[in-house]
Amino acid sequence: MPLPAMQYDRRETTAWITKPILVMAVVFATLPLWIETVGLYQYLGVEVLIWIVFALGFNLLLGYTGLPSFGHGAFFGIGAYAFGLAQFEVWANLWFCLAAAIVVTGAFGAVTALFLAHRRGIYFALMSIAFGQIFYFIASKWTDVTKGEDGLLNIARLPADFGVVELSTQSNTALYYLCYAVMMGLIVLLWRLTNSPFGRTLRAIKQNETRVAFIGYPVRLYKWAAFTLSCGIAGLAGGLFAMAQEGAYINIMTLQWSGTIVLIVLIGGGFVSFWGPVLGVILYFVARDILGAYTETWLLWFGLMFVVLVMFKPDGIAGMWRDWIAPRLGGRPEPSPRPAESRS
Amino acid sequence: MLYDLIPHIINGLALGLLFALLALGFMLIIGVMEVINLAHGSLFALGAYVALAVMVPDGGLPFAFMEPYYALPDVPRYVIALIVGPLVVAAVGAGLELCLRRTYGQDPLYGLLLTFGAALVLEEGIREIWGSSEYYLPIPRGISGGFIAGDLIYSTYRIYAAIFAAAMIGLLWLFLNRTPYGAIIKAGAHDGEMVRALGHNLSRLRLFVFAFGAALAAIAGIIMAPIWGIRPVVGVDAVVPAFVVIVLGGVGSFWGAVSAGLLVGLVVGLTAAFATDWSLLSMYLLLLAVVTFRSRGLAGKASVLES
Repeated sequence: MPLPAMQYDRRETTAWITKPILVMAVVFATLPLWIETVGLYQYLGVEVLIWIVFALGFNLLLGYTGLPSFGHGAFFGIGAYAFGLAQFEVWANLWFCLAAAIVVTGAFGAVTALFLAHRRGIYFALMSIAFGQIFYFIASKWTDVTKGEDGLLNIARLPADFGVVELSTQSNTALYYLCYAVMMGLIVLLWRLTNSPFGRTLRAIKQNETRVAFIGYPVRLYKWAAFTLSCGIAGLAGGLFAMAQEGAYINIMTLQWSGTIVLIVLIGGGFVSFWGPVLGVILYFVARDILGAYTETWLLWFGLMFVVLVMFKPDGIAGMWRDWIAPRLGGRPEPSPRPAESRS
Repeated sequence: MLYDLIPHIINGLALGLLFALLALGFMLIIGVMEVINLAHGSLFALGAYVALAVMVPDGGLPFAFMEPYYALPDVPRYVIALIVGPLVVAAVGAGLELCLRRTYGQDPLYGLLLTFGAALVLEEGIREIWGSSEYYLPIPRGISGGFIAGDLIYSTYRIYAAIFAAAMIGLLWLFLNRTPYGAIIKAGAHDGEMVRALGHNLSRLRLFVFAFGAALAAIAGIIMAPIWGIRPVVGVDAVVPAFVVIVLGGVGSFWGAVSAGLLVGLVVGLTAAFATDWSLLSMYLLLLAVVTFRSRGLAGKASVLES
């Protein structure tokens, strides 16, 4: 039984900028102005943006290609360490360090993908756990490079150097706008990519890998490329996170961290919608800060919510929107693309 | 040199047999329900915590009325812990199976995700009840300590653990291959629909197998507890080796899992002799080395999980 198909809107698929992208741009551009009036804090905004970058990149793998990686936190961590080490050892320039985080993580991802690209489903999940653990163990034990349990400390928030002007990113608000620019750029690129022939092929692989291979597409190459790209984006998010935290710590490479991103993307509805990961990140962080204020064990409640969701509405928030809310708003009547209800 | 390695080899074999026991429960669940039970490690940890609560008064659940019970000598309390722990965990496993029913017939990924959520809930639940601090399960005096043979020191408990795990694996084999219940379970793993057509209650079989697999995890957890200590995160430390054993041995092969467990244990034990810090890494490298050349592991057959 295949996974649910991505929904898409024919009218918008070739556009670079669409209505939801504009809504995202406006909402997040004004966020620092009102986030404190609703009782939250500026740093939360930075965290949310970085996680959106991570989650969107991850969904290229989970939602678009149908490959459940349970080791993606390792690549987030490699990006953070690469950013820190590039800054300390090579050249303390923001663009260079971010590029280093992307390229190094992408390279690690490319090598890992060589071992994973011919696997699917549960075997892929198990092997990705093994790789995630390998990178975690190396990072935690190779103390000469990663400083082990202590982590890389004192990573600077490098200024954004545009040649003529140099903008500081010291304050959380300034760093927020740097992350905002990165996120919006990534959203536009990913939206275009996922609606390109490349993205369509990935969706087809998610639906029926064997059939795509029979048509003549080099399926392994596509899966390899999706994995590598997704790792590069995770590295970018990791680099930004190292800057936000002013350090790189081993906990971001654990299995729990990798599991968290799966949970977030799924709760949001990454299986059926491009915007699922964004919804998931917002829900997760709002839940963490609001539930967390009332109870120490907010993760228990979040986990229960997740279990109930998988049981009754595995398409997440985006699926609820599609099935329950969008039809009542009088939008276009979109048939539910869940394969159980269509003849296959 | 080789002689000095004997205690490490014995420790490794004990570890490997426990991994194999854990992995066999995991594999029964994969076989009959086609679900990768990511909560298996949490059930392992829960078993250890329940045994702890049964063994000692300050093990997290202080019941005043149980005072006279805690005055019993340690051997009967240990035996009771070994029975109560798996029973409680089997009940939790049965509850989990009831939740899982909604995912049957869908992509196996949903079962994986549901049990991942369940693992999170169980771990946080354990934190809520017992806190995050580390406990050690006390063991009866007869099987603790060490002894000297030749001029090397052996841990008595590890030898006990190895024998116990080997006996459990043997009993499990007898149960699966020499009883009618075992035949039904194996048939259910082969073709659930046909088992149903023959008039057996498939839902009840699944409930039973899940509870049984959970109980095996709990037994492994209780035996492992004095070696590893009991922490909420111990579930992750346990579930990942179980995957490695399953993938390495090949899904669906009893002796594949046992030999993979022993192999993993030996590799971990021997690496620990030379480079303690890297002992757990060697297990993954072994997995990569084997799976690169034999993609279904040592003895695996094609299975539903590949689709």
